[in-house]
Amino acid sequence: MKTVGFDTATDDTVVAGLDGDRVVAEASIAPGESGRPLHSQTLLDAAGEAADALGGWGEVDRIAVGLGPGTFTGIRIGVATAGGLALTTGVPAVGVSTLAALAVGIAREAGASGPVMPVLDARRGEVFAGLYNPMGRELEPPFVGSPEDLVARIGEITARLPQPPMVGGPGAVRFVDQLDRAGIEVPGPGSALNRLSGRAVCELGAGAARSQPGKPLEPIYLRVPDAQLWLERDGRDPGPT
Amino acid sequence: MPLLAIETSCDDTCAAVLDGDRILSNVISSQSVHDRYGGVVPEVASRHHVELMVPVVEAALADAGTSLDQIEAVAVTAGPGLIGALLVGLSTAKAIAAPRRLPLIPTDHLHGHVAANFLEPDPLEPPFLCLIASGGHTMLAAVRDRSGFEVLGETLDDAAGEAIDKAARMLGLGYPGGPALERLAADGDPGAFEFPVAMSRDPGLDFSFSGLKTALVYRCRELGEEGVAERRADLAAGFQGAVVDQLVTKLRRALEREPWPAVALGGGVAANGPLRAAVQELCDRRGVELKLVSRELCTDNAAMIGAAARHSEPLAWPGYLSFDAFATGPRGRR
Ligand SMILES: [Zn+2]
Repeated sequence: MKTVGFDTATDDTVVAGLDGDRVVAEASIAPGESGRPLHSQTLLDAAGEAADALGGWGEVDRIAVGLGPGTFTGIRIGVATAGGLALTTGVPAVGVSTLAALAVGIAREAGASGPVMPVLDARRGEVFAGLYNPMGRELEPPFVGSPEDLVARIGEITARLPQPPMVGGPGAVRFVDQLDRAGIEVPGPGSALNRLSGRAVCELGAGAARSQPGKPLEPIYLRVPDAQLWLERDGRDPGPT
Repeated sequence: MPLLAIETSCDDTCAAVLDGDRILSNVISSQSVHDRYGGVVPEVASRHHVELMVPVVEAALADAGTSLDQIEAVAVTAGPGLIGALLVGLSTAKAIAAPRRLPLIPTDHLHGHVAANFLEPDPLEPPFLCLIASGGHTMLAAVRDRSGFEVLGETLDDAAGEAIDKAARMLGLGYPGGPALERLAADGDPGAFEFPVAMSRDPGLDFSFSGLKTALVYRCRELGEEGVAERRADLAAGFQGAVVDQLVTKLRRALEREPWPAVALGGGVAANGPLRAAVQELCDRRGVELKLVSRELCTDNAAMIGAAARHSEPLAWPGYLSFDAFATGPRGRR
């Protein structure tokens, strides 16, 4: 199976080409000097290079795209790109959870055999997190919450399981102080454990059920739009001013 | 040589296939979900775009009886508009074009509204003066050739359609407010309340509707809830009259500055009956031809983007891979 996989749900633009279990192309493009992600400017070029490394789009069996959670605009750039590529090349596109991909990477880097809790920075002082096995299978649904929520969740899971989950990811680095205080171990900021890997996106995409291709790609937002929140909370919309 | 065009700058997900100036298909998926918010919510619009985009492109290809194998270029709105919404269309368009090494034609949304006039079966050739009034924009443009336009005037605050939607809201009408306000105004006396003739003393051609909105807020406050309910029709008529008046005043001023053989009226607000009548009267009096774009081409659509793209600069692969969307456009010649 030849897979082109990418993810733009975090600030990085992560892309890989996977031929069986051989990585033939891999790129992780950090935000530019302004701090703004370079998803729109760099994704398509990098995805094309990954396809070329696999012998061109005609040789590619599957496109794997990270569905989030993450930045809304980033997720949509990835999903729209995957949709356009699938339409034009005929290569089926499948969506994978960005958290699951992060979990697979953490487990591989750490050689973990137990559950993994990948953590993403959700902005607004919150995190996206979930519980996965080392293969990226979801053990508990992902959630959005404060660092305190995260600490409580990890405590609760640790009490239930024979071993504490392995914690990592950009969100864990972001809130390392809160996790540290709770005695939760977080890999150092420079550790490869915290980085989302394009290879993991490809692997999850390649392993996705056969029936999945053809299904529409549905972003995983985990948050409703603010306007909807206001509408539900106040029973009316704030309306334009 | 068919061209695929994509437009997602606001709340309509659109794709079209054109052969020259002939429309082979023009698919518009409107998002009525915004009605309950009383206006377009960017995040909600973007979520719907990403869901609808591929099916809308597939429908446009199917309606045209063609496939991507026949498509020779991909046109897409690059701006101005809601940045998150634009990025859905742009990312899709780039991804469709790149593996096939097709050229990409990034297109200015407002040029699209202007170019709607070039489309068959009833094309209008430049030079003409173009007034675009919609929920997203209000612009008076000089169109001297097909390749661009010059902004003579634009709104300094709200767009005309936006102002109408807000007024409709104040008067307890639903969203979008245009048709409802027009129906209500038909039973009212436009002279019953005085509304400021905004910018009438300003010699420029720019528009401003925020003063009108403020005036309506004050009228409503003075009248109280019951008073407003009683005088709704008069308020609607007065407000609508003032909006139409400003649009027509600026158009007349532009016609006085320079002789133009024709005027084109476009954008969603162009469907407003009193506006159409007033512009028609102005054009008749000055012996100027008036072109009213069909309703389907008035509101946002991808056929107009394809029409503009034919006169815009195509980018060859791989030059467009890093191309990004823009939220606001430059002023002046475009
Ligand atoms: Zn428009």
